[in-house]
Amino acid sequence: MTAQDAIGCPDGPDPQAGTLLNGFWASLPIVLGYVPIAFAFGVAARGVGLTLAEAVALSLILYSGGAQFVALALIGSGAPFLVSAFTLIAMGLRHVLYGPALMRRAGPGAARRHAWAWAWGLTDEVFGTALGALARGRRFSEPFMFGLGLGAYLAWGTGTAMGAYAGSGALAAWPAVEAGLGFMLPALFLALLLSVLSRAQLPVLAVAAAATVAVTLAWSGTAGLLAGMIAGAVAGVLNRRGDSGAH
Amino acid sequence: MRIEVLALACIVGACNWAFRYFPTRANLHELPPGSPVTRFLAATGPAAIGTLFVASVLPLVKDLSGPAPLTLGAGVGAVLLVHAMTRSVVIATLAGAVAYGGAFWLAAA
Repeated sequence: MTAQDAIGCPDGPDPQAGTLLNGFWASLPIVLGYVPIAFAFGVAARGVGLTLAEAVALSLILYSGGAQFVALALIGSGAPFLVSAFTLIAMGLRHVLYGPALMRRAGPGAARRHAWAWAWGLTDEVFGTALGALARGRRFSEPFMFGLGLGAYLAWGTGTAMGAYAGSGALAAWPAVEAGLGFMLPALFLALLLSVLSRAQLPVLAVAAAATVAVTLAWSGTAGLLAGMIAGAVAGVLNRRGDSGAH
Repeated sequence: MRIEVLALACIVGACNWAFRYFPTRANLHELPPGSPVTRFLAATGPAAIGTLFVASVLPLVKDLSGPAPLTLGAGVGAVLLVHAMTRSVVIATLAGAVAYGGAFWLAAA
């Protein structure tokens, strides 16, 4: 990796460009949110008969929280292999939107030479955190993306292993702690939203929220996610007051 | 390890990687400012994060007869307040979780 690749800026070292350690630090709220959810996944995986190795393999190879819980339901119900595969693949389609939105925000000089590696970690939370960092003035850099993604990935794998090892009822004696940890991801999304939202984008948020609620209640949570994101982005096209993604 | 579990993880994982990686290769910087595609991409971030927030909160407000209004109000209020004071995503997130857990404990006491 050249120095230019490392910082993603053609004009030499840039103090605003994030380092690997900056990325790790930025991943802290994701780590705190991922560990309990991955823990719950590990517990649930053992509940449907998966071994510890199978639970951890799902987390490390599939690496998509919502899809993993659905995978457990499909495996547990004995669904046909192809049905399971297509269902889980369809759940991941929303990630197609993240790369272009992130790189657009990163700017034309942004390095992407090693995107084949760091893009693996571009989950919902990593995408949101990266976008929030850029919105707060952080210059895009691949080391930052590595640090951010790696922190989240390790937390997801570790949490799964802990949950699969502990089995059910591990946090039963600490319901308030369990509740607080369960609120970590909503709190993270709200904090990220506050850091990226502008007044001009409020109609986008309103449309996305309405579509999410309506489609989730009428159909399913996965469909609600996809509908909310697409409806909000389409509202952005129609909303000429919105910013045009300047960076 | 059962081969069908491993195969499922590998196939879906490969597709997830493709969905996350290949779109980053798209060259979108020559799009004219203000074009529909540019506005679509600019709105994708707030729309996605807003969607994820709403989707993550929905299960918490399903039962409004219990302590949900108090705990959710405490958690959301703490995030708003601390973010306004510090502009830090990390600290606001932690404050929200602590406030939510604390309110849950108070409601249960």
